[in-house]
Amino acid sequence: MADDITITIDNQEIPAKPGQMIIQAAMDAGLYIPYLCYYPGMKPFGACRMCVVTAEAPDREGNYRALPGSPASCTTPISPGMRVTTQSQELQGLRRGIMELLLSEHPHGCLTCHRIELCGPADICLRHVSVNDRCVTCPKNERCELKDTVRYLEMEMDTPLTYNNRHLPLATQDPYWDMDMNLCIVCARCVRVCDEVRGDSALTLQSRSGRALIGTSQGTSLLESGCEFCGACIDVCPTGALVEHDYKWDKAVEEVNSICPHCPVGCEMTLEVNKRNRLIRSIPDRHAAANRGQGCFKGKFGMEFVNRRDRIKSPMIRRNGQLRPASWPDAIDFVAERLADYKDGSYSLVASPRATNEDAYIAQKFSRAVMGSNSVDVASNTRPEILKPLHEQLGYPAVTNPIWDLEGSKRFLVVSSNMTEEQNVLAVPIKKAVREGSASLILIDQRETELARHAKIWLRPRIGSEAVLIGGMIRVIWDESLEDHEFLNDRVDDIHEFRNSIMREFDLVNVERLTGVSREDIQSAARLFAEQRPGAILYALETLPRNLYEECSRALVNLALVTGNVARQSSGLYPLFTGANEQGARDVGCVPDLLPGYRQFEDEGHRKQVSRAWNVEVPTSPGIGVRELAGAVDSGRVKAVHVIGDSPNFTNGELGHFKAALSNAEFVVAHATFENDVTELADVVLPSQTFAERAGTYTNLERRVQLLRPALGPKGDEEADWRIISQIASRMDADGFGYKDESEIFDELNNLVSIYGGITYGRIQAGGIHWPCLATDMADDAILYQESQADVKLNLAPMSMSVVPEHEDNEYPLMLAHGRVLHQPEEDIEIIQINGKNAIQRDETIQLHPEDAAELGIEAGDWVEAISGRGRAAGIADLTGPQRGLVSITTLFGDLITGLVQSEDPDPMLNVPTLPLTPARIVKLTAQVAAD
Amino acid sequence: MPTYEELKQTADERWKNLTEGAEPWIRVGTDLSGQSAGAYEVIDALRKTLESENISARIDEVGSLGLSYAEPLVDILLPGSRSRLFFRNVTPDDVPSIVGSYITSGELPRDKVFGYLGDDPIDGAPNLGEIPGIARQHRIALRNAGNIAPNDIYQYIANGGYAGIHKALTQMEPDDVIKEMTDSGLRGRGGAAFPTGIKWSFMVGSPGPKKYMLCNCEEGDPGAYNDKGILESDPHTLLEGLMIGGYATRASNGIVFIRHGHDGPIERTEEAIKQAYEAGILGENIFGTDFSFDIEVALTGESYVAGEETALMEAIEGKRSQPRFRPPFPAAFGVWGYPSTINNVKTYSYAPEIISRGAEWFSSIGVNRSTGTAIICLNGNVEYPGLYEVPMGLTLGEVINDIGGGVPDGKELKLLQTGGPLGGVLSAESMSIHIDFDEMRDAGAILGSGGIIVGDEDVCAVDLTRVLVAFCQFESCGKCFPCRLGMEHLLEITERIARFENRPGDLDLMRSVGDTMEASSLCGHGQLGFGPIRSALTHFESDFMAHIEEGRCPTGSCLGPHIAPKNTRPYAHDFVPGAR
Repeated sequence: MADDITITIDNQEIPAKPGQMIIQAAMDAGLYIPYLCYYPGMKPFGACRMCVVTAEAPDREGNYRALPGSPASCTTPISPGMRVTTQSQELQGLRRGIMELLLSEHPHGCLTCHRIELCGPADICLRHVSVNDRCVTCPKNERCELKDTVRYLEMEMDTPLTYNNRHLPLATQDPYWDMDMNLCIVCARCVRVCDEVRGDSALTLQSRSGRALIGTSQGTSLLESGCEFCGACIDVCPTGALVEHDYKWDKAVEEVNSICPHCPVGCEMTLEVNKRNRLIRSIPDRHAAANRGQGCFKGKFGMEFVNRRDRIKSPMIRRNGQLRPASWPDAIDFVAERLADYKDGSYSLVASPRATNEDAYIAQKFSRAVMGSNSVDVASNTRPEILKPLHEQLGYPAVTNPIWDLEGSKRFLVVSSNMTEEQNVLAVPIKKAVREGSASLILIDQRETELARHAKIWLRPRIGSEAVLIGGMIRVIWDESLEDHEFLNDRVDDIHEFRNSIMREFDLVNVERLTGVSREDIQSAARLFAEQRPGAILYALETLPRNLYEECSRALVNLALVTGNVARQSSGLYPLFTGANEQGARDVGCVPDLLPGYRQFEDEGHRKQVSRAWNVEVPTSPGIGVRELAGAVDSGRVKAVHVIGDSPNFTNGELGHFKAALSNAEFVVAHATFENDVTELADVVLPSQTFAERAGTYTNLERRVQLLRPALGPKGDEEADWRIISQIASRMDADGFGYKDESEIFDELNNLVSIYGGITYGRIQAGGIHWPCLATDMADDAILYQESQADVKLNLAPMSMSVVPEHEDNEYPLMLAHGRVLHQPEEDIEIIQINGKNAIQRDETIQLHPEDAAELGIEAGDWVEAISGRGRAAGIADLTGPQRGLVSITTLFGDLITGLVQSEDPDPMLNVPTLPLTPARIVKLTAQVAAD
Repeated sequence: MPTYEELKQTADERWKNLTEGAEPWIRVGTDLSGQSAGAYEVIDALRKTLESENISARIDEVGSLGLSYAEPLVDILLPGSRSRLFFRNVTPDDVPSIVGSYITSGELPRDKVFGYLGDDPIDGAPNLGEIPGIARQHRIALRNAGNIAPNDIYQYIANGGYAGIHKALTQMEPDDVIKEMTDSGLRGRGGAAFPTGIKWSFMVGSPGPKKYMLCNCEEGDPGAYNDKGILESDPHTLLEGLMIGGYATRASNGIVFIRHGHDGPIERTEEAIKQAYEAGILGENIFGTDFSFDIEVALTGESYVAGEETALMEAIEGKRSQPRFRPPFPAAFGVWGYPSTINNVKTYSYAPEIISRGAEWFSSIGVNRSTGTAIICLNGNVEYPGLYEVPMGLTLGEVINDIGGGVPDGKELKLLQTGGPLGGVLSAESMSIHIDFDEMRDAGAILGSGGIIVGDEDVCAVDLTRVLVAFCQFESCGKCFPCRLGMEHLLEITERIARFENRPGDLDLMRSVGDTMEASSLCGHGQLGFGPIRSALTHFESDFMAHIEEGRCPTGSCLGPHIAPKNTRPYAHDFVPGAR
């Protein structure tokens, strides 16, 4: 970091950073210079000329020389000693001149109306201004940046310039957004955010001169333009040109910052609430450390579920097979009475991935302390093995580095992850770094995901051979001495055993044979990853067979260590799970094998610590995880099931025959917001508050503990989950559940969970902090295993060549890899309109290995159908498949979005279809069938 | 690869064969003006006639002698003669008689003969060397135009081509080249008139090895065709100039940026580059030295602003051509982020002769701080429109009256429009102004890229202004607010005045919009966009006042149809007052 320099703005000396533009330095110092096209965090553009200033700077001899003309402060770099004037009659005159021009084509009744001073923020009047121009016809009325600037300029609004309304039709055919080009000032913020921040380039400037306007990259619909529906363009739009379609005209009466419940990135969103207690908009907070103003389709457009009328509003008890409304006391009594029968360890609790830390802590405390059962888990915890090697080899079962560290990474290795859809904002810094050319991406995935087009190397190994492939890469690194000697010497204990295992087991000829990836490709991937540091490894492993999660994760941890990519900025390992607060739930012990604070339940000492804190013995028999729950119910080991919240895993097969098993359980309690597959089978249904009504904390995937704040008032009789459980516990005469509010629970848990020891509600008011933070006077550790833990040794785990599983299935002999991407401009596509909304129509391509095709008598261009247990898809055969036995089909994200918009599901973003590999068969269609 | 000496020897032999051989050598001007006058039909007719008459002759397409009014221009050098006989305004119908009488029997078809050029007088034909359109020219950049075939590198070499770069590479250090350029006083011919040597020196210290020399042939000014003219007539002189610049600035690559649609210049430049590579003049280790240089052609869509240097870089990168802000300046951060220097075709085309003949020779031509020549495109109401390279320091009157033959049909000259649509409008009093960057700038007009449009007494200044403004409005890239919006209003107000629908205060309103644009626009387009109106108001306020106060157009030319609605392209003929 270069030293600060001092400049003077309007006779005020301010510190500034070298390389900053004048406007940035001014903003950092809290000084206002009017601007329209500039946007903090984006590159300067210099179009609106509203931020003009006059400036002088000393030359080499120290004599001050004026910069020529009136430079734009957004594009003029500061220099030491520079003196800037932002306010003068001339500058104001110039700005007014530009603003007058601007308003000559922008409806401005809202600015010129003579009542403006008298008008309240949400007043509606029908007089005074012509209809098209009225303030209330602007969706951004009172939220518009143009208005702020006009008022700053104290403009007299009668202008001799002719007013030209563009009279363009509104574009409302695309999902989620409305585009009114009559309100556009062509600042290109939307185009730039889409290009330089999101890496999508779905929007573009079209035409020139007076006709220059915003359009989509293909000139048709967002659905085929490469749009990821993140809404960033809407968030940066200074006028009403781009707005959210829903609640377009609604005015917020309250704005509350809280955390998005859709994924573990934990985006901080500003939730806008109208006077009818509805959440009308969610806007990613530009100052939030976790998401830096970015969001995604789920967080931006997936919040309507909290407003739905079909939310469960009161408790219900099943009597004579029917759920009947009941009072809270009755329902609590009923549950407490029934649960008393299952204190023998036959109780199991499944917490919601959206449960707060407080909920999860109380849930596991209830299960262990009251019900005597270690069978607590989170519904989304289906791949715990991806964290285990981190725990064993490094110390913490968690992501090692923060999200925005990725901006500085030089290399990315992404293994089997559909990040763009499941942890969307995490992909933002990756795409940005790759597009700027500062980083290269290696992707290992059978499916074509959005990251594939950003990848320099995309490997599609045989299914289940990923660990072998990584081992092969390590072998190349060792063979070619690309490892980080210094790091290995300093930080890693014994490398010899590991090195021997690699040398002995990972012969490249074998690796090539087992993975189906050529030796040259393995070598180039290894070289590319190892040749430059820092590099980050991100993996979900969702396409791997379950028994290989751990082995592959271990291989990746080893790779990170060998290349020195741990404990350094912009390096690290990012195991990717899906639940919004899965990290927090694990931290507070809401998993079967870990007690709060990563205490091992098998460890007697650890159990004692918890028992002492709770004044109750912690049960000693092992708990049942959510993946084994269905079997345990079948076998009678679990008889009572307590399900909090909803999860797609209940029905999508991830948890086996979970739903069928529930119907065999003796007693099922469900906390729910909507009626779902579980409430259908539940004996008692208790209405749960959504995140929008909740206080509490979430811990995101970068271990940042963040505060949820209630935005909405009560909708009905629903309650916070921790409160429901506490009431049941108290009703069962258990001590230690008399909490007044969430902060009391947090105070208890941060005593027990030492990595949270220094985190308090007070400290995270202004923004979340990372664990570990052991004491209130300590800063947090954003990057694990760094200086403060520099003497901790990290461990390499010897590897062996795993057996790559053979897929044997007579009905479905092949494996279908369904991919989804934002953009395929090379494919023919038609945008059609259904009920006034755009939709995609195109023929899909089904990619097969030529040898598989030959066996099936299929030629390129034939119409074929892929049939799996999940459904059928027809398409045109393409014989360029990379592996025998693998079939792939890549659909457009736009298709997914149209599906989500039309979905009847009350919370469609919870149930976005994932992209697992599925067993399938391919049938050749005759032309006749295809035509049908 | 052949050495320079070997190339020169081959070239000289071939040239001798052309000029002193046994076959007639027929040259036809096929630059844009020749082409549009029907030069290709004439060539077809020539081929056919020669074949049917069983005459063997060499036909070469050449560039422009500058006398556009006489196109298609055909000249024939008969074996044994040292003079070329020129035929003007040739049609295919004229060809049999030309071939029949002159080639076969040496007789002159008098009605078609234009004159001769060369050492041997031809009886019955006037000496073209004595007409002002040739005698008053001093051709440096255009020295080969009309004389050699642009698609034959050996004709260029035979006429001294690539001697400049050879001299630079073998006898000069890069800094010597920069010094020579600086001493020559050459200033950029793209409009800004910045000293070329100094500009080049900016990039010397920028980190390499990859650095770009860019050549701007966007040439979107209506009525400007001197860049295109050079590329169509003698593309090698540009390549050589680029190489000299590359050597001086330690650049590795050159890009010639040509506007999409300029087919002749594109094809001829590409062919020249191909030939230069084949001859070993481009590529690795040129002439056996350690200097390597590559040149390619880049194109963009039709956009006037793409000629702005940073917008041009955006266009080369495949982006929307809109200007970047500066700093960073191109010498530090240019195309693809590499250090870049950009000059106009004309500027580069002087470099070979400056290096070959020395800075002193060049600086002896011209006046004051404007050394060398000006390459003028003379258009509008003049007797002899054309492309003329004249020494700096001639008066506008000399150019228009002597070379251009004055205003035809006995009409009075009323106004001049110089430097492209963003330049200025001058009155008849300006005829004594010298062609000198500084003097013209002080007079409120710029030499710019060298276009001069002459208007006679039938031209209304308001009419001319609205066409200019319509052009500038349509060609605004739409990025910065003052230009995008201000141009629209300027056009609207000028239109109002032209149609007698003006409102009170319109002139002040134009001035205030113009001031905002001038002070706050991002690039020259917006900063200069008010220029034409301002100068027209200065010199022809009476025309405006006649519209505003009396509701009449003094010449009646504003009474025509409404030709320039917003956001449409005014057509080329709109720029020749009275031509529509």
